Amino acid sequence: MSHDLGSPSPVSPFSVAVTGVGLYLPGFLTAQAWTSGEALPADQPQKPTGLAFDRVNRRRASQMGRAIADVVHEALAQAGADPVTTPVIVGSSIGEASAMIGLLDQMWREKEPMSPAVFTVSVHNAASGLLSISAKNKGYTTSIAADYDTPAAVLLEAIGLIATGHERVAVVCADEASPRSLLEHAPHWEMLAAALVLSRSDDPAALAQVTVAAAPDDTRPDAATMPQWPEGIEHNPQVGLADLADAVLRRRAGALALDRGKGRGFAVTLSPVAATGAAGA
Amino acid sequence: MRPRPLLVTGYSMLSALGRGRAQHLDALAAGRTGLGPCPIPLDFETAAGAVRSELPELEGALQPWSTRLARMATALLHDLDEPLRRARARWRPERIAVLLGTSTAGAETTEVAYQQFIAGGKFPRDYDFQRQHTFGAVLHVVRALSGASGPAWMASTACTSSGKTFATAQRLMAAGLIDAAIVGGLDTLCTMTLQGFNSLQALDRAPCRPFHEHRNGISIGEGGAFALVERDGDARVTIEGIGETSDAYHISAPHPEGAGAQRAMEQALAKAGREPGDVDHVNAHGTGTRLNDTAEANAIKNVVGTAVPVVSTKAFTGHTLGAAAALELAFSALTIEEGLVPPALGDDAIDPAIDLHIPTTPLRGSYRRVLSNSFAFGGNNVSLLVAAP
Repeated sequence: MSHDLGSPSPVSPFSVAVTGVGLYLPGFLTAQAWTSGEALPADQPQKPTGLAFDRVNRRRASQMGRAIADVVHEALAQAGADPVTTPVIVGSSIGEASAMIGLLDQMWREKEPMSPAVFTVSVHNAASGLLSISAKNKGYTTSIAADYDTPAAVLLEAIGLIATGHERVAVVCADEASPRSLLEHAPHWEMLAAALVLSRSDDPAALAQVTVAAAPDDTRPDAATMPQWPEGIEHNPQVGLADLADAVLRRRAGALALDRGKGRGFAVTLSPVAATGAAGA
Repeated sequence: MRPRPLLVTGYSMLSALGRGRAQHLDALAAGRTGLGPCPIPLDFETAAGAVRSELPELEGALQPWSTRLARMATALLHDLDEPLRRARARWRPERIAVLLGTSTAGAETTEVAYQQFIAGGKFPRDYDFQRQHTFGAVLHVVRALSGASGPAWMASTACTSSGKTFATAQRLMAAGLIDAAIVGGLDTLCTMTLQGFNSLQALDRAPCRPFHEHRNGISIGEGGAFALVERDGDARVTIEGIGETSDAYHISAPHPEGAGAQRAMEQALAKAGREPGDVDHVNAHGTGTRLNDTAEANAIKNVVGTAVPVVSTKAFTGHTLGAAAALELAFSALTIEEGLVPPALGDDAIDPAIDLHIPTTPLRGSYRRVLSNSFAFGGNNVSLLVAAP
C-alpha cells in the first residue's frame, strides 16, 4: 500500500536508502511491535532494555541511553549491518537533561559532593560513547542537536558520511521525557527513540529511498497521514524521525515534514522499494 | 575517497587571553598565561581561564536569547564580519551552513536560574530554557546575525565538539550540499563542570602544566573560536585531513597507550595524503592530567617521532571543553601564519617520561603543517591536519 504525502520542493537533494528501522516508545518497545499495533499491557515493564550495552555500560546508561541502544540494535540487525564498523550518529535536543538536573540538585538542594559517575555520563555524547565501547566500534561516532531540526541534522550528517565513502550509517534520534520543571509552559512529551540505517541509494536491501533537501522548504505536516502516536509522543522534538520510520515501515510515498511544523521546515521525499519481506505492514 | 582540503578563509577567537588575533598572538609569543583565580565561587581552589573581554549585548528581537554563551557567539561573529560579508556576496544564504560545537550549551544560565528555583520555588521571570539553554538556542542567534540559512546544528561530543564541525563541513561540501559554513565552537565556565572535574580529582590547584613533571590536572577555561570555511576562495590556512576515531575503551579515561589518539592522527595524515615527516608542529590536546598526557605523548611519539615541537596551549587558556578544538585550530593557524610555536608553560621541568620535544621558550621558524589534537569523554578523538595554503 502506498500513500501520496504531497509534492516535494527539495533544494540540493541527496538520496539514500533506508535498510533498517528501530523504534522505542512507551507501550511499543520495537518497530515490529509498533507496526503490529500490539501495545504492551500497562502492567508490563515499559522500560528499554539496553541489552546492546555490555553489563558495565548498561549500568552507566540512562533510560534514554538504553532506548538509543535498543533502537540502534534493532535497526542494525534488520539491515544486517555490523555494529563494530557502522558509524553511529546520535541526535537529541536536550541530551542527558535528567542527569544535569540530578547534578544541580546534588550541588544545591542536597548539598552533597558531586557524583563522578553521574558527571561522566551527563555529557550529550554519553550514549554514543557507551555504544562505541560496548560494540568495540573504534570508528566514527558523533552526537548532535538542533531542537526540532535534529532529525534533519542526523540525516544530513549521514549523507555527508555516505557521500565520502561510508557504506552504511546508523542514525538515531531520542529525547527523554521533557523535564517538567524546566519546561513548565511547554506541552509535555514522553520519551521516544527512533533509528534508521542508511546506505547508498542503490543498495539492493533498500526498504525505501529517502531524498533529503539541505535547506528548509515549504512542506508542511499533513495531519491526515501522520501516525497516531501514543499521548505525549507528538511533542517530542525527535518525532520527525519516528514519523519517517513509520512511513518507511508502512511503505508511504511523497513528501514528509521532519519537524511537525515546529522547526525550520526541513523535509524528505520518500519512495518505497518493492517489498522484500523485511518491511512491515 | 579523499575529500578536498577545507579552505579556512577567516577565523576569530575569544579566550582568557583576550579577544581577537592581536591579543592572542601577543600573549602566546610572550608566554603569558590567561589563567587566574576562578570567578565562580567554589569550596576548593583551582585556577581557571575566564574571558574578561567585554561582550556585546543582544538587542531587539534577539534579546530573549541573550546569555553569556550567545554574547560570546556574537563577539566571535562580529570578528568574522569581513570574510562573512564576502561569503554572503558569493554564496546563496541557504548554501551557507552553521555547524558549531559546545559541551555545556546554556548550562551556566540554567545554573543561576535553578539556584533561584531551589531557593524560592520559581525560576526568574526572564529565564527561558528553550531560548537560553538548549543547543539550538545559540544556533538561532548565529543564523539570525549571520544571515546563513543552510543546515545548522550543534555537535556535542564533549571536548572534541568543535573539531567535529570541520569534518562535517568538509563532508557536506563533498556531497554538494553546501558551499560555505561557519564552524567552530564555544563554551562558558559553569559550576557543574568545575565540580564534576573536581569530583574526578582531575583539577590542578595551580594553573595547569601539561607534560610537566609535577603536573596535577586540568584548569578549566571558557571561550571559543569560529572559522569561515568555503568551497573555494583565498585561504588563510587549509585543513588537509581530519581523523575521527573512538577509543572504544572507557567513558572518561583515555586508552593507556593512546591507541585511539594515534589512529586519529594517522587517519588525518592518510586522508591528506601526507607522511609523518610532513608535520612541523603538534598542538596537543595536553590537558595536564597524568594519564591523558602520558597516553597522548605515547601516541604522538608513535606517529611523528620525538623531534617535532609539541605544545599544549591549554596552559594559556585552560581547557575550553567543547571550544577547545576550534580554539586550538585557530592557534595552529597562527603558528603557520606567524611562524610561532608558543612555549610550554610551567615552573617545573618537563616530565622525563615524556619522550617528546616540548619547547619551553617560543620557537620562530617556518611551520607549514600542524597536527591539532582533541580528545573527549566517550573516547571520542579528533585530529586536524592544518596546513599553509
